[in-house]
Amino acid sequence: MAKGLFGAALIVACGVTALAHHSPAAFDRTKEVKLVGTVKEFRWQNPHTWIELLVPDEKGKEVLWGVELTSPTYLIRAGWKSNTIKPGDKVTITVNPVRSGEPSGIFRSLQLPDGRVLTERPARLGTPDSK
Amino acid sequence: MIRSASRRVAAAVMLAAAVAVGTSQVSAQSPAQPQAPPEFPLSALAPANLAKPRPKPPFDLTGNWFIDNRPGIQGWLFGPAAIPKLKPEAQKHRDAYLQALKEGKVYRDDIGQCWPAGMPIIMTRVWPIAMIQLPTAIYMISEFMNSLRVIYLDGRTHTDPDLVVRTFNGESIGRWEGDTLVIETKNFTADPHHWVDQGVPASDELHIIERVRMINDGKTLEIEMTLTDPKNWEGEWKGVRRWNRVDDHDIGEVECLPDLNEHLQSTSSKVHIR
Repeated sequence: MAKGLFGAALIVACGVTALAHHSPAAFDRTKEVKLVGTVKEFRWQNPHTWIELLVPDEKGKEVLWGVELTSPTYLIRAGWKSNTIKPGDKVTITVNPVRSGEPSGIFRSLQLPDGRVLTERPARLGTPDSK
Repeated sequence: MIRSASRRVAAAVMLAAAVAVGTSQVSAQSPAQPQAPPEFPLSALAPANLAKPRPKPPFDLTGNWFIDNRPGIQGWLFGPAAIPKLKPEAQKHRDAYLQALKEGKVYRDDIGQCWPAGMPIIMTRVWPIAMIQLPTAIYMISEFMNSLRVIYLDGRTHTDPDLVVRTFNGESIGRWEGDTLVIETKNFTADPHHWVDQGVPASDELHIIERVRMINDGKTLEIEMTLTDPKNWEGEWKGVRRWNRVDDHDIGEVECLPDLNEHLQSTSSKVHIR
């Protein structure tokens, strides 16, 4: 099984996730990719928070991956803060990749150096399950 | 001396004659009546307008409201899955969308390129909408791009077609009918980046009637929307959606910054058909 950049392709259930700004149809929800790399930039903003991650490929060359997250409104409710990660941090992020094979994906989970795992809350307010 | 005086008189006569001719020429060119300046309705925020006696409305929907998509995301765009019978040009877009879907591509995601969502989609985005109800108007601000709708309740009519500035959210006039707020929205833009649903365009002839009720003890708004657009589909396209009140969030600034998509590579990905 190939290690590193492209972890095992898992079939994951289609979940409610950030439809914050643009069509989610660009992403392949049936695949999950594990990215182990170094944070280049973390932008805590609306409509999308994003992370740029430098991930070494099989040859050790660094590839810049773009990871899209939801609005900070839903990250805060999932335990994130604007300083949860910063440039230089070594993290593991799982994403559903974009269909074209470009180094881009939509966020599924973040594992911090201390082992904590953070996800997102779905983009929903006003219902009992959105608290 | 006499000569210079005569010259002065002659000059004065000539000047007077020139002025007379000039004046008569100006009179001949000017319109018979001066054009009246346009009349503007009293602002919805003018104290005199707010102070006019009006019956108490059946409900006050001031608050934050969030689309209820619990039954499962019905697309991220408006309405039921059933698309009405489309006119040929609109059908081409719909077919292109369906073909793109088969190929794992995305057809005309203009909102992702920072074009305004417009009505009706601005109402069903997964973003809270702040609504502020005054006797004269309801101001709706979606957190999504801080997009604005104003629904006038002060008895004004839609703007003269020769003056109206067409927009993505249209121009809305509301009236109370029993326990229902009835809103008529028209004067939409002809810009080709305005969509009603996946692969279904909106034209400048889009016309929307919303029937708004407050239910569930003031916790839910139920809106029945009826859309017509003779350029794009046949007949009426109806749908009912609900919005839940949100008391633990306030809207903030959300802008589509020019460099946003540089960092959201999926929006510049090869999967997009523009």
